[in-house]
Amino acid sequence: MDSGTDLAAINARIVAMKKTALELKILGADIPCIVRNTARILASLKMLEIGFSDVADLESGE
Amino acid sequence: MNIDQPYWNPVLEQLPHEKLRRLQLRKFRTIFAWAYERSRFHRALYDRAGIRPDDIRSFEDIRRVPKVEKAMMRDIQRKDPFPYGDALCVPLDEVCEFRQTSGTTGQPVYQADTWQDWEWWAECWSYILWSQGYRASDRVFIPFGYNIFVAFWAGHYAAEKIGCEVVPGGVLDTQARILKIQELKATAMMGTPTYILGMADTARHKMDIDPAGLGITKITCAGEPGAGIPSTKRRMEEAWNAKVYDHAGATEIGAWSYECRHQPGGMHANEALFLVEIEDVDTGEIIETAGRRGKMVITALDRLAQPCIRFDSKDIIEWAPEPCPCGRTFRLIKGGVSGRADDITKVKGVLLAPASIEEVVRGMDGLGDEYEVIVDKLGDVDRIKLKVELMPGAEERAKEIEGRLKDQLRLKTNLGYRIEFYDYGRLPRYEVKAKRFKDLRKDKPV
Repeated sequence: MDSGTDLAAINARIVAMKKTALELKILGADIPCIVRNTARILASLKMLEIGFSDVADLESGE
Repeated sequence: MNIDQPYWNPVLEQLPHEKLRRLQLRKFRTIFAWAYERSRFHRALYDRAGIRPDDIRSFEDIRRVPKVEKAMMRDIQRKDPFPYGDALCVPLDEVCEFRQTSGTTGQPVYQADTWQDWEWWAECWSYILWSQGYRASDRVFIPFGYNIFVAFWAGHYAAEKIGCEVVPGGVLDTQARILKIQELKATAMMGTPTYILGMADTARHKMDIDPAGLGITKITCAGEPGAGIPSTKRRMEEAWNAKVYDHAGATEIGAWSYECRHQPGGMHANEALFLVEIEDVDTGEIIETAGRRGKMVITALDRLAQPCIRFDSKDIIEWAPEPCPCGRTFRLIKGGVSGRADDITKVKGVLLAPASIEEVVRGMDGLGDEYEVIVDKLGDVDRIKLKVELMPGAEERAKEIEGRLKDQLRLKTNLGYRIEFYDYGRLPRYEVKAKRFKDLRKDKPV
């Protein structure tokens, strides 16, 4: 792994974004624009989880 | 963004192999549990084998997980939840994409994907295209039908994701596509090897356009072996004056492999997103060492709607002995997918892989791109005939070409062939995927 990559910091931001997206989804549960767009955001965030969070969890022993 | 970054994801693509294996095991446990809990088909399969999620603790445990074959998927589909049947792991209203297989081996298999799975497809293809040099400065022409087959759909979305400008070339016929490439100065393209060669042929012989002068610098091929066969790759590269890269994927699996810019004579298996196992065809043993061919058994580690878990792909592959100079820790499949287990047949008692014939034909100066192989029987004796086209101007060398062809074929395939020459343009042309190997024997050897 590139020694310049701060995996823990990247993962922390992914976790924060996911938390915000989930909160927004609940907040806007009656608004299709919010429900469908947050669904897409969460799908994109899943790609970042696959790309970085899964490895971060491996390294932190989770 | 650093466009000189060679890796779409430098964390995963350079992950030390030991960590990659730990990641694969952890993700396999997750996808196995997901399917076990949500799919009646998978639960029944695993209950019959006496294996449950908590039993998966090692790769040896994974090897005890029963394989899934295409025929099993055919049997459970066209039933509720319609049309996917018992392998569906999400509510029907979360399925947002339907695709089906091409049906060349039987009834098509339907494939469900959620939006997240569709993003995953584009993510898999982003590894492919970034490794092959696609960047935001590229104008990518996609000459594909945008139809019910997954084909290059995800290539389109990945090119967008990377930031390329995408020109969808559906609906246009071949000549209109060539004119559009010329008009827009497209720099990259995707297609099956058959179609890439066919486009070049149309440009040269029907439109008086040299495809090598159109400005395409890179071509990604998929859908059939070809870009992994050196002489076919050479023909495409010479025709278009472009780099040609291979990719193997499948509707039921995902986009699991890619050839990088180093063109190492093989393809990287994306081992962060897929677990690739090579199974000895005779013994069923899992092959970990390089140099031994076997059948690919593959798991897509993140695909949710209709999981792909230890899918028996029938693709014949082998690990390469050396890592790629690109620095990726994703292992190389040597030579790409060399064929399918169901394509390999015995002729006169000799095992024959059709791809080896293609390598000879397309490496022979004086012959056209198209060919046909006919296997039949005279009494009890197998016969094999090869039909080829002589390029205009090569007619006088027919005898010499025939001699070299027979010698090379004997060397590569251990068989003697009857050779039939045809004038250029007389053999069938295929639009997308070719069916050049015809076995007419009623009782084909197993």
